[in-house]
Amino acid sequence: MDWVAVGLCEDVPARTVVPRRVQNTDLAIWCSTAGVFHAWGDRCPHRGMRLSHGFVRGETLSCIYHGWTYDGDGACVSIPAHPDLTPPKSICAAQYACRVQDGTIWVALQPTQAAVPELGARRAIRSLAVQLSAETLATRLKQPFGPVITLGGAHDIALAVQPSTDTDCLLHAFAAPDQDRKAVSLALEHLRDELEAAA
Amino acid sequence: MILYDYVLSASCYKVRLMAALLGQSLTLHTVNFHPAREHKSADMLALNPKGTLPVLLDGETVLTDSADILRYLTRDAPEWRGDDDPWLALAADLNESLGMARLHDILQYDVDIDAARAAGVKQLRKLEAHMTAQRFDGHLFLTGAVPALADIACFPNVSLAPDGGVSLDTYPSLRLWMRAIRSLPGFIEMPGIHRLHELEFPE
Repeated sequence: MDWVAVGLCEDVPARTVVPRRVQNTDLAIWCSTAGVFHAWGDRCPHRGMRLSHGFVRGETLSCIYHGWTYDGDGACVSIPAHPDLTPPKSICAAQYACRVQDGTIWVALQPTQAAVPELGARRAIRSLAVQLSAETLATRLKQPFGPVITLGGAHDIALAVQPSTDTDCLLHAFAAPDQDRKAVSLALEHLRDELEAAA
Repeated sequence: MILYDYVLSASCYKVRLMAALLGQSLTLHTVNFHPAREHKSADMLALNPKGTLPVLLDGETVLTDSADILRYLTRDAPEWRGDDDPWLALAADLNESLGMARLHDILQYDVDIDAARAAGVKQLRKLEAHMTAQRFDGHLFLTGAVPALADIACFPNVSLAPDGGVSLDTYPSLRLWMRAIRSLPGFIEMPGIHRLHELEFPE
């Protein structure tokens, strides 16, 4: 997979950071005060604390542990315990390519020339976790394995699949714009129950 | 009002948080729940024969159930009240699942940990679906646009779920709900639930 959907923009409003896992890689996805999205490795270079426990101020993300602060390029710009020190450029959070398209946050773990997958004329409904690997999910849906699975049906549902671990994935669901979001959300709950129950 | 309190207890925190949000002051009487098991001491059993925490003492009134205490604290605050019983029942269920998983992990309680976590995940999924629907209606809280007793009753055990080995990473609507509660004026923290540091930044 080149681009993987990791969340809906409305679930990561400005000044928030969330943890996400893509193919066993832990990410901190955050949105700055100005609304710029970033995808970083979920690890502070200082002591390894998850950056997703941190906090967003302005255009920076700070670690909750000792307050080391990183700018939008991932560079450490402030170490509160050493206020007079200009942090060396080598202190840097791991960064991944991050794009926003169709109200969705996409991440590429490896450099890629590929285009972000299209979701068609649909609107975002919600994300929901499924206790199945992405491969098993595709098999049970009788669909080819890929970053987006189109189910169609009355709601015209498409699922952007985020393979989290070997046993879990996170689905980001989309449906035709005229569909009632609550009805689609309920349908997705039922679909998850069926998929997880199917042996 | 005196609260017999243990800082790591989710049920005691419910009471402290509710009082803080209401601007009521509590005199905290710290009980050495672990490792001394002071809640089972003769003095504490005389006060509360169940030997549980929290215990609220207000003059002649002694309350030993966190749901009763929340109702008592909000008795003159109708804006926090609604159809509370189903939510208080859910809060009790969360305490039996996520709460017990946490006590298993942090205080070595003898619990069927797989069953406790599985029940917790089931409840979190229901809550996530509910909060997702609430957000479709533009609401940030469990019962509407403003915080209620229901939110405070359910918030601690949900927020502390990771202490019991249950991740909250994949519940976007619950995360925003927890954030909304942590943003409330008067919010207080406990070990495992910190305040929003970004709010202290002048912009």
